[in-house]
Amino acid sequence: MTADVHINAVEHRFNSFTALHRVDLEIAAGEFIVLLGPSGCGKTTLLSIIGGFYTPSEGQVLIGGKDMTHVGPKDRPTTTMFQDYALFPHMTLRDNVAFGLRMCGMSKAARSEKAMEMLDMVGLAEKAGRKPHELSGGQRQRVALARALAVEPDVLLLDEPLGALDLKLRRQMQDELKAIQRRVGTTFVHVTHDQEEAMAIADRIVVMNHGRIEHCGTPEEVYLTPKTLFSANFMGEMNRIPVSGAGASPLGPLDVPAGEGLLCLRPENIGLEGQFSLGAARLTEASFFGAHHRCHFTPVNAPDLTLVAHLPQGAHPQIGAEVELFGRNPVILPHATPEAA
Amino acid sequence: MRYLSWVYLLALFTFILLPVVTLVVFSFQDGRLPVPPFKGVTFEWYAKVLSDRAMMEALLNSLIVALMSSLCALTLGFLAASGLARVILPGSALMRGALIAPMTVSYLIIALGLLQMFNQIGLRPSLLATGIGHVVINLPLCFAIIYAAIGEHQKSALKAARDLGAREWQVLWLVAAPMLMPSLAAAFFLAFTFSWDEFIIAFLLTRFDVTLPVEIWSMLRSGLSPETNAVGSLVFLVSIAIVVVLELTLFRKGSK
Repeated sequence: MTADVHINAVEHRFNSFTALHRVDLEIAAGEFIVLLGPSGCGKTTLLSIIGGFYTPSEGQVLIGGKDMTHVGPKDRPTTTMFQDYALFPHMTLRDNVAFGLRMCGMSKAARSEKAMEMLDMVGLAEKAGRKPHELSGGQRQRVALARALAVEPDVLLLDEPLGALDLKLRRQMQDELKAIQRRVGTTFVHVTHDQEEAMAIADRIVVMNHGRIEHCGTPEEVYLTPKTLFSANFMGEMNRIPVSGAGASPLGPLDVPAGEGLLCLRPENIGLEGQFSLGAARLTEASFFGAHHRCHFTPVNAPDLTLVAHLPQGAHPQIGAEVELFGRNPVILPHATPEAA
Repeated sequence: MRYLSWVYLLALFTFILLPVVTLVVFSFQDGRLPVPPFKGVTFEWYAKVLSDRAMMEALLNSLIVALMSSLCALTLGFLAASGLARVILPGSALMRGALIAPMTVSYLIIALGLLQMFNQIGLRPSLLATGIGHVVINLPLCFAIIYAAIGEHQKSALKAARDLGAREWQVLWLVAAPMLMPSLAAAFFLAFTFSWDEFIIAFLLTRFDVTLPVEIWSMLRSGLSPETNAVGSLVFLVSIAIVVVLELTLFRKGSK
């Protein structure tokens, strides 16, 4: 029903291109892990290696303590939910969901019952006799989930399953995925490039770039205390102010921990009050986003910089006004290496 | 302009269909020669054809050869297409090219090549030899049709089947074949009609048991007769029937 996954020093090359550079990752049983990164970062390759669709060039994959490096998808305790659902168009939903059980040799009556149970779980029991083409995208999505879970895999792999859905449906499916994962307790490994989706569903997020793991941690850790400039930028908008020594910066001396590099501040961590002063700044642009005002400030001391701040609804900033800005939760990261940029 | 385009359309269809219409019309000729003037309607020639034992044997032979060779070509083409769609091997492009290449070679060359090769290995000209020849010409066709039908969507469904624990024969039989049914059927019917009509290979690779086109040809050597028209009309009828069946089942379904 559930198992842990160990990725030991896995490296994967496609001809001369190295898709994964010695990746190590430990996934606990029953965890909801999200592999997050831009396209080409190696997240789908890693997922395919866990699923057995690729054999890594080097390294080991252990699932539930057993070495699975050279075992094909057919014999692994994993199933995959594919990006394009990959339902069998000629079979009814019931037969689609029961397919994996049929392959294990379960009797017709037993697998039909189990399939109905799974379809019921995803709320499609009354459509069991329909064919996939009669369903909407979200419904096909659910059938794919039911089919992958019907064989009770130890690990479920999800390859950008929500990519094709519209925003509202995607948010709804995220909640459902999370709820179903809690209920069945299976280890979920989910691939996406949408950082909001990652934060909404993950127990732990693995941020990947150029075939390496940049940061691995809970959504709070990854968002609030990023380890690298790449994961800081990828998780959301970030103001970057170069600092050196004991807080020297273009804005003037700042009361931040000593360090050399870039001071990173999320827009919501800049405001009219806070832990330390950022000096005076002029408001150049503001727009109302419902939950907040998004404001562009030009610091008086450094007119070539722009700071983006999210001010609370109540604030009524006037364009051209000069105010003193404050920052919270400072994170100082070393300058980007050329590769991480 | 409008008037002209109708004239053009009429001329076009006349050009295409006149030979066939003439053939069919004069197969009912009440006289010894299938040439104008038309002297009246008789079914005598059809009766003669249908009671001609050599002709009926040839018809049966043709059916058997067409059925067996197109089933063979279909199976081989299906296996080749699903194999090449599944994995990228070194030289995949070359293999695809080699599979399709016979399509570009004239039937005469293929027949000559086969004739020489069969001589070498001691296979005498026969229906079996002709059948093999028809597999050679129809395999590229079946492969091309089926390979083209396997898109990304089909590939990922096959991947999903393997992921869910299906063995390779189960993937092919339970998922690939039903999913590709329209193209399988199209490939089969096309291969069947091509084999059914094929003359050159059958002519060079048969001796005692012959197929229908070869039988018709030997009948033509003894001169024109409405009987040949009747046979031709029957062959045409079978081809039409296949096209109509295709239209009613496959293409209508496909357009839905």
